[in-house]
Amino acid sequence: MIDIRISNCNKNYGSLRVLKDINLEIERGEFIVLLGPSGCGKSTLLHIVAGLDRLSSGAIEIGGRDVTDVEPKDRDIAMVFQSYALYPTMSVRSNMEFGLRMRGKPMAEIRPLVEEKARMLHIDHLLDRRPSQLSGGQRQRVAIGRALVRDPKVFLFDEPLSNLDAKLRASMRTEIKKLHQSLGTTAIYVTHDQLEAMTLATRMVVMKAGEIQQVGKPEEVYHRPVNLFVADFLGNPGMNFMKGHLRVDGNRVSADVGAATIPLDGYAFETAPANGQAVVVGLRPESIQPVTGSEAFVLTLKPTLIEHTGSDNLVVLAMGGEEIVGKFPTDMLPKLGEPVTVGFDLGRLSVFDAQTERRI
Amino acid sequence: MRRFLQRHVSQIALSPSLALIAIFLYGFIAYTAAVSTTNSKAFPRFDNFVGLEQYWRLFHTPRWHVAFTNMFLFGGLFLLVTISLGLVIAILIDQRIRAESFFRSIVMYPMAMSFVVTGIIWQWLLNPTLGIEVMVHQLGFTSFRLDWLTNPDTVIWALVVAAFWQGCGLVMALFLAGLRGIDEDIWKAAAVDGIPAWRVYVFIVIPMLAPVFLTVVVLLSLSIVRAFDLVVALTNGGPGVSSDLPSVFMFDMAFRRTNLGLSAASAVVMLCTVLAILIPYLYAETRERA
Ligand SMILES: Nc1ncnc2c1ncn2[C@@H]1O[C@H](COP(=O)(O)OP(=O)(O)OP(=O)(O)O)[C@@H](O)[C@H]1O
Ligand SMILES: [Mg+2]
Repeated sequence: MIDIRISNCNKNYGSLRVLKDINLEIERGEFIVLLGPSGCGKSTLLHIVAGLDRLSSGAIEIGGRDVTDVEPKDRDIAMVFQSYALYPTMSVRSNMEFGLRMRGKPMAEIRPLVEEKARMLHIDHLLDRRPSQLSGGQRQRVAIGRALVRDPKVFLFDEPLSNLDAKLRASMRTEIKKLHQSLGTTAIYVTHDQLEAMTLATRMVVMKAGEIQQVGKPEEVYHRPVNLFVADFLGNPGMNFMKGHLRVDGNRVSADVGAATIPLDGYAFETAPANGQAVVVGLRPESIQPVTGSEAFVLTLKPTLIEHTGSDNLVVLAMGGEEIVGKFPTDMLPKLGEPVTVGFDLGRLSVFDAQTERRI
Repeated sequence: MRRFLQRHVSQIALSPSLALIAIFLYGFIAYTAAVSTTNSKAFPRFDNFVGLEQYWRLFHTPRWHVAFTNMFLFGGLFLLVTISLGLVIAILIDQRIRAESFFRSIVMYPMAMSFVVTGIIWQWLLNPTLGIEVMVHQLGFTSFRLDWLTNPDTVIWALVVAAFWQGCGLVMALFLAGLRGIDEDIWKAAAVDGIPAWRVYVFIVIPMLAPVFLTVVVLLSLSIVRAFDLVVALTNGGPGVSSDLPSVFMFDMAFRRTNLGLSAASAVVMLCTVLAILIPYLYAETRERA
């Protein structure tokens, strides 16, 4: 069942086109993460769903109702902001109660509701404090609590964790995930943190310059990016790209990338490959590993740099005139300058047309 | 020696100005207080100690009572009018209106004028044979009367209006800065929560402006106690002594009536009034810091 439908949505500020013809359908109970570089229009899209910004053209439906011209308060949504946006002159309790009181809900119903949600978020002992007397993590819980008590049809989050330190961010991430699993409310979540996007999303939406690039499950977007931008944007360290040409010989296809010829027999082409087509072959660092014996495709390359990141070791390997990065386990580290045989996991290859930058 | 210098360089650098403040501010405060205990006439003389007699005389001078009461009447009305209208104007300008800077400049321009000019402008505007009254008569409303300047019961309003006209810009600017400093997300959260704009102002935004209110009240209160040039230019204390203020009284006693002792006593009473306003403010400020 479709819960949110965004159709042909455009947003312009003067001549600046911030959102370009966005179409997106969100099922009930999904956790959609909007991901993209700064300024790509994620917040704008979220504000349009909330009704805080008007769209220039297009339509928004929530729960089967056209809400394009409906006020935010009548859209049955709740929102959590990056700056928490708590009302600083009110206690935590009043912050959580205020929206319900404005809706004319009787106090006798509000009280137990607020206390229940506060217990759920472990802020019940803070109810009588002011926001200024709370830590960042506690403030964000209160902001989430204020959204929860409203029991909305849709939750909207605009980078709710980006003001927290790394450790707190990780634990709040888990809590938001648990919360979503237990409530099952539809949510749209904006972030530019890949890890948040990968762990929270049931589906993620990658945006660039006001356009949706790819919509899909996190693994799908990660392993089968539809174009070079998505391939490059996701993953840390980024995907290795090798420029070259296709060689089509009967029904055997391979990519000549200068230093090597990579067989593409097992590759599921989306468009028919042409002989001599200029391509970019992409492979993530974790798919380039030292040989254990069973690999279909191996190369012997010279390591030029080794970076230790704690759990993994990144090994930079010279390949022709270019460099590629592989991820090596600690007990199989090569020596600098001594050639090492590495295996490519061909099942994880992505091939893009060099001109259109699209996956082929 | 070097360590001594290093440790005390800031004190040494500040000490000349501290010395000057000590002499010219506190020194003369003490001097004035001393004069107020003498029977000085045109010139200060210390051979004629009279104790608190000047204070006794001050509080038995009807004109002082008028002046002192006027200060609170004028001050109260001025604070009320300026703060409420200044806040309303700031809120109106904050609605992202068109030509905002135009309206902002209009409200701020009077600030650039001296109180003397303000006083003279309003004296003309309120003059029954020159200003607004004549204008309204020419429009056909001949029964209209605007006799604030000549009526002892309403002359205080003339002072309030002129002082408001001059002070409103500053108050508006302070409130507007406060309003602009409020996180946009608060407004968005309130919109999603379904809180009407006036309620956001009353329950959330205006309480958040509490520090601005404090600043505004202190600034305006000090200008009330100091108000002198405005009165001299606009009403000269008249009609009669009905628009007298303590500062005008003090000036008059010192330089026209050659009664320096009484004048000094009134100055000390004014100082005490200012302290009564300032001390709670400073107390609140320092407690907030701590
Ligand atoms: N009120 C406005 N007037 C003009 N341009 C605006 C306005 N609001 C946003 N923009 C522009 O719209 C674009 C998208 O902004 P948006 O806030 O949606 O980006 P974002 O993806 O949320 O970025 P970030 O990750 O930095 O928050 C930006 O280029 C921004 O400059
Ligand atoms: Mg944003």
